[in-house]
Amino acid sequence: MTIKYLDKYPKNLAKSLWVMKPVWTVFKLFGKTVTHRSMTILYPYEKEWIPENYRGRPGLRFDKCVGCGMCVRMCPTACIKLIEVDDDAGNKVMRPQVNVGRCAMCGYCAEYCPVDAMTVTPEYELAEYTRYDLLYGPRRLNYEGTTEGMEVHLELTLPSDIQNGNPERRVRLADLDKPELTDSKCIGCKKCAKVCPVGAVKMVEKGVNDKGKPIVRPEFDNAKCIGCSNCIIDCPKNALELKEVL
Amino acid sequence: MAYSSILDWIDFFKDPMDSPYYPFDTYNLAYDIGFKLHEIIGGTIAWLINLLFPGNGVSEWLMCDYVSAIMALLIFMILIFLVAFVSVLIVLWLERKLLGRMMDRRGTMIGMKGFLQCVADGLKTFMKENTIPKKVDKMTYIWCVSLIVGLSVLVACMVPLSSRWYVVDYQTGLLIIMAFFALAPFLILVSGWAQNNKYSLIGGMRAAELMISYEVPMLILICTAALAAGSFNIGDIVYYQNDHLWFFIPQILGFIVFFFCATAEAERVPFDIAEAEAELVEGWQTEYAGMKWGLIMLADYLRGTVSCGMVVILYLGGWTLPFIGDGPIPEIVFLLKAYFVFFLMVLLRAAMARVRTDQILNIGWKVFMPLSVINLAIVIVLKVGGLI
Amino acid sequence: MADSIVPVKEIEEKMDTDKMWVIMGPQHPFSHGLWTLKVQLDGEFVTDADPIVGYLHRGWEKETENRTYPKIIPMADRLCYAASMTYTHLYCMTVEKALGIDIPEKAKYIRIVADEVCRIQSHLMWLAAVGTDMGNLTVFLWCMREREFFLDLNVKLTGARMTTNYPRIGGVRNDTTELFDRDILRTVDRFEKALWDIIALIDDSSIFVSRMKGISYLSREQVANMGLTGPAMRGCGVDFDIRRDDPYDNYDKIDFEVPVLTEGDSYARYMIRVEEMFQSVEIIRQAVAKVKAIGKNAPYRMKVPSKVPKGTAFMRMEDPRGESLMYLVSDGTDKPWRLKVRSPIFTNVSTSKAMCMGCRIADVPAILAQIDMCLGETDR
Repeated sequence: MTIKYLDKYPKNLAKSLWVMKPVWTVFKLFGKTVTHRSMTILYPYEKEWIPENYRGRPGLRFDKCVGCGMCVRMCPTACIKLIEVDDDAGNKVMRPQVNVGRCAMCGYCAEYCPVDAMTVTPEYELAEYTRYDLLYGPRRLNYEGTTEGMEVHLELTLPSDIQNGNPERRVRLADLDKPELTDSKCIGCKKCAKVCPVGAVKMVEKGVNDKGKPIVRPEFDNAKCIGCSNCIIDCPKNALELKEVL
Repeated sequence: MAYSSILDWIDFFKDPMDSPYYPFDTYNLAYDIGFKLHEIIGGTIAWLINLLFPGNGVSEWLMCDYVSAIMALLIFMILIFLVAFVSVLIVLWLERKLLGRMMDRRGTMIGMKGFLQCVADGLKTFMKENTIPKKVDKMTYIWCVSLIVGLSVLVACMVPLSSRWYVVDYQTGLLIIMAFFALAPFLILVSGWAQNNKYSLIGGMRAAELMISYEVPMLILICTAALAAGSFNIGDIVYYQNDHLWFFIPQILGFIVFFFCATAEAERVPFDIAEAEAELVEGWQTEYAGMKWGLIMLADYLRGTVSCGMVVILYLGGWTLPFIGDGPIPEIVFLLKAYFVFFLMVLLRAAMARVRTDQILNIGWKVFMPLSVINLAIVIVLKVGGLI
Repeated sequence: MADSIVPVKEIEEKMDTDKMWVIMGPQHPFSHGLWTLKVQLDGEFVTDADPIVGYLHRGWEKETENRTYPKIIPMADRLCYAASMTYTHLYCMTVEKALGIDIPEKAKYIRIVADEVCRIQSHLMWLAAVGTDMGNLTVFLWCMREREFFLDLNVKLTGARMTTNYPRIGGVRNDTTELFDRDILRTVDRFEKALWDIIALIDDSSIFVSRMKGISYLSREQVANMGLTGPAMRGCGVDFDIRRDDPYDNYDKIDFEVPVLTEGDSYARYMIRVEEMFQSVEIIRQAVAKVKAIGKNAPYRMKVPSKVPKGTAFMRMEDPRGESLMYLVSDGTDKPWRLKVRSPIFTNVSTSKAMCMGCRIADVPAILAQIDMCLGETDR
């Protein structure tokens, strides 16, 4: 490669009359901006073009959300909280609420959402008069013009796929990592079935123990599971573990 | 008592020069306007008083020569100041707009293409709290800013806009203007000490440093121009240029040096070392806040306008135009020329950086000084040869 | 070279005057950020200087110990606001080294593109600061105008302007977006033309040049002893660039020059950075061509285990400001046990005494502009 600038400078400035070249450069631009418009945009009246994937405040599609709490877990500023709200049918469901005043607009919630209910939105003018107004509830998080491009897909390539010569296969995090049960630790408390947001855990009776009571063990429906690891976190005996596929 | 008409009291066609108390030697437009205004306003008041109390002495007194001369002078002063003030506001607006365009932005945008921004800024600084730091030397602190502003306003008012728009028409008018003009750096030095602040102190010292480096070549150049024209009277210099040649053609060296010196006199980039904001925050103005700071900014721009005016008077033929001479509105011609010079200053500000203190001394004594002496020599040769 | 530097000792012997400490900062137009430089003045000459940093300390390193590995990436963005992707890149490389994985080729080239875009952004910010420190606002605004185009590139690539949150452990966040190749090539072509204009404003102006030439001389030995790194070091004659001498990612497959000058003064440091911008443009062109050649469906992000095996890893890279380094100690969980950051500015600012000695106070902003202060990474 070539050195471009160090070859030409420093120059003998007496040749260009010491200061005349910068004056001429400025004058050229002056002529340009007088005849054409200058580079600045008049902000409140004109706005810059922003692409679809612009990371403004997070948006939520209420009906798609399953309330798994993945966004809460991944949020680096801990600005998301799950709250109980009524859905359209009147049932109580858990949905995220975002404190936009604390949001760093990193887009992790949209990226790690297993069902793509969380999106990024191009909305960035978020000033409010009170801090309370900055709390965006699940309904308020809805963004009218949500399009395909606002979803952030977490598409991964498995290292094993690259080794096997199949590098073009993309997988989603939600489809791969499933919880696995260590049978000896399980006490059959049914907590995992309760916290599972998609109902992928089914408690199945597997015989009886010494005292004659039924032994209950969870069974995972891998087709339904979204890998949110709620069951793993809530397991009182650490009997569950996320099995990472690599 | 007979009814007296208002026209008995107002004589619109009275010539102010007929009055025994006329303060000038030649025709003065501003005084004429003042005189006519007094004729109208004072005449109306006198007529009204006479209607109510017929035959009283006040009405007669109001319209006598003596009172009308004093009232005309008052209105004349206000007029002169207003014209200087408005031309400075236009300069301020020009600087913001032109500098903006040179930097690829728009400049001020509020009202009348951004002109009202100056008014808003002025109002804002006047609304601010009048803070005085605890440890300053109060008397010097306040008097310095008053004197700087007062002197600047005085100088700005004293620059004649044309042969009929002037305050004084002395034979040594140029020298008086330059004397007042050069007083401000002393006061800056004093205020730098008074503020009890290190930045201000360094800024004040730098103002003095700046002054000794550009003032000498500047005075030599003024003397050169006076030598060429044969007079220190501004009007004589201007008409000499109109009769012969604008001085910037034979004295191109002098024009360039004087232009830079005038930039330094107005403390603008590249010679604004006294208020170098990169290292000295605001230089000698650091401790001034609110209204005082606003007035100092106004004074700065007044001095900038005066500098431009001096360049126009000395080198660009003042208010005359080639082949036309005075023309119908010489004042506007003068102001337009001054704004053109100011445009060059803005161009310089946009294109250049601030020089260092030792560099300005170097430039002043090793470059400007010899150049101005050479210019003087050229003028003497031309003058002796009878070419100009 | 050192003509204009008046030896400090000589002044001290000649005059017996009181010296004055002038405190510049933390709220001072010359300190770009929150830091203080105490300068001892003898008249206009600097006889001593003492930098004080730490106003922006926010416990970054301790904070990382409470977070899982992916959650540190947005925090690493905020180490340096002018070039956010370099620190994120460095962090991801460190964790990848600890994991012992090799990321896809495409991700490496995209990271190089992103890095060099950030380098140009950072250098433009620095050039703008040089303009204001010398009293010229035009340079500032022209540089910011050019920077805006690169921020637009950030938006197109990652969706955010400054804190991009783009590199990930095992690759990058998303593939290059549609028409990104076209946009970036157009931007750099335009930038090269505009940069010559800015150079004409600075290098062709005798005022700018005389303000920088011959002041604040540092020798090679001084640089080595004080640990000055980055463009400032290369301006003093040390020929070392981590991109070339200890290549990370795929810098070894890219052809570029490392500009070195031996003058060692303020102007040399300035020139190195300007030349680096031209070199960055070249790197971007080559890397974009490589990304295009690799193909659209190539992998760009690998799945990585969430837990890092026990052990340590360290990685260094050529930040726009110098050599930055991260050292990771892992105890086998999904959170780091310790993450140490070496920021180049923290070391570079300690040389301010050696740089400012014997110069005039008017030179102090011009000199310290050349080390390009960034307080976010200095105080961490």
